[in-house]
Amino acid sequence: MKLASHYNKVSVVISVSVLLISGLIYYLIINHIARQQLDNDLSEEVEEVVNYVNLNHRLPQPVEFDEDQTSFIKTTRDQYNTRFFDSPYKNPKEQKTEAGRAVSALVKTNGENYIVTIVESREETEYLIQIISAITLILTAVLLGILIVTNRFVLNGLWRPFYGILDQVKRFNVADTSKVVVIETNVDEFKDLSDAVIKMSTRVTSDYQGLKTFTENASHEMMTPLAIITSKLDMLIQDETLKPDQFAQITDIYSAAGRLSRLNQSLLLLVKIDNNLLQDTEKLNIKTIILEKAQQFHEMIVNKNIQLDIELIDVEVTASRYLFDVLINNLFGNAIRHNKNPGSIKIELSGNRLKFQNTGDSNPLQQDAIFERFYKGRTSDGTGLGLAIMKNICALYHYEIKYDFKQGMHCFCVVFLKPD
Amino acid sequence: MKLLIVEDEQTLRDTIEKYFTEEGSICEVAGDLKTALKKIAVYEYDCILLDIGLPDGDGFAILEYLRTSGKNECVLIISARNSLDDKIKGLNVGADDYITKPFHLAELKARLLAIVRRKTFGSNSLLNYNEISIDLLGRTVTVNDKPMTLTKKEYDMLLYFIANKGKVISKNAIAEHLWGDEMDMLDSFDFIYTHIKNLRKKLMELSGKDFFATIYGIGYKFV
Repeated sequence: MKLASHYNKVSVVISVSVLLISGLIYYLIINHIARQQLDNDLSEEVEEVVNYVNLNHRLPQPVEFDEDQTSFIKTTRDQYNTRFFDSPYKNPKEQKTEAGRAVSALVKTNGENYIVTIVESREETEYLIQIISAITLILTAVLLGILIVTNRFVLNGLWRPFYGILDQVKRFNVADTSKVVVIETNVDEFKDLSDAVIKMSTRVTSDYQGLKTFTENASHEMMTPLAIITSKLDMLIQDETLKPDQFAQITDIYSAAGRLSRLNQSLLLLVKIDNNLLQDTEKLNIKTIILEKAQQFHEMIVNKNIQLDIELIDVEVTASRYLFDVLINNLFGNAIRHNKNPGSIKIELSGNRLKFQNTGDSNPLQQDAIFERFYKGRTSDGTGLGLAIMKNICALYHYEIKYDFKQGMHCFCVVFLKPD
Repeated sequence: MKLLIVEDEQTLRDTIEKYFTEEGSICEVAGDLKTALKKIAVYEYDCILLDIGLPDGDGFAILEYLRTSGKNECVLIISARNSLDDKIKGLNVGADDYITKPFHLAELKARLLAIVRRKTFGSNSLLNYNEISIDLLGRTVTVNDKPMTLTKKEYDMLLYFIANKGKVISKNAIAEHLWGDEMDMLDSFDFIYTHIKNLRKKLMELSGKDFFATIYGIGYKFV
């Protein structure tokens, strides 16, 4: 439930109950005041009767006025407390019974006691109270309506900056260079939130950029010492008086330096893919590229007695030639390197799906781990970055890459985007 | 051949200088942009080996200077960055080739000679080495005027060895030259052995001479 709805619910419940309670209290007070007023009137009437009796020493004629109905009843009682009570009032004009208020009091004249009862119509006050209640109810309804409308529209408008910020936070991508923009608002809290989000995202982005720059610089800085090692070895081997086993050790140093250099290149490539720095995209025919690569790897395929089955149709994608080469190179390279001798490789390109299947280790690879950086199989002597690079290239172009193990064949499948 | 090596890393500069200095070649060195520009302004070189990252500025300034002053030196860029942007930028402002650190000296020399030859071709595209004569444009080889049929890899290797004649070349350097990035797939140096064996045999059949010396445990030398 949205905050606005929560707020709406609470405010409506509170307003309705406050309005109802206050309406009730209002009603009771008005009722009380009206009754008091009536009672005062009736008291005056009684006083008038008493005054009349005292002055004239006889009962007044029970004249029936429009409003009041006075009656006298002879009584033997000496004491009687004046009391007010509700009593029906017979309206002689309209021939109907209305609500009324009555007072009864003791009147003494010529040694005789009478109880005088005066009944007055309460119709008018009832009417007043009804009108007041109606007005109160209408007011309540209108207020409620206004409240709901205000909450829905004004509050939603008020919260708009918040949703704007939230949306930006949701879309925030640390590798993206687009910045979180300032949301215009007059609400201090949202201004604070916006500022905090901008500060945070800027810091995160700059930290991330810093880390990437660091990786790039570190990798580059390592290249010069590596160049020195390699060139020094190149000079060292010019001394032919060295013994064969010393040369063999130098070969090992060469290999280690070469491996370090390739590792560095791979890291740099990963940084470049992450930064989307290779934007020289062009239309590429996958079939042509695979046939070229098959030619390139021919020697190694023959050397390992690998049977190569290729089934291709013309498929075009738009990508960086360099990255696509890396992708196919790695697919091919892995299929050859991790193959048996003799073994087989099956390449299928159909629709938007490229499948590389190869024989090799009889156990499947760990599907969830192989695309991690520096994951290496037991027998692998690679950098451990090949599949991570492939995954990143695929992610960059929104391709899907999957690994499967079926009928003793390791299968890597790349699904390209359908051409629009 | 007159060469200028612009490289701020002294060890590397000295090593390159030592490897390139031979009969008929003069090497000069510069450790920073200022020295390099001064030398280029005064002397003529056949080729400049240029490190892009210099302490007092960007190596591209040298390319810019060469272009504006109408000089025609070959430039081979050495850079720790293999960034494709740098490469395009460098080649666009007049560099002839680009090599990424780390590199083998043999590779550096082969590349350097290739660009110098390309620039000084003129009408003569023949490269002669003893009995061997290579037509660089037609990519054909004759030994004692007899044609020799070579595969693409053998042809590449022959050029590579001639460029580094008299030097011991490691199998690692040869593998990297022939296969480049795919090199890490090679689980052995068997391929090199096979290619060298074939090339050696073909050369021997036509010239009666063995041009290759095997240096056990490390590689080969072309003599």
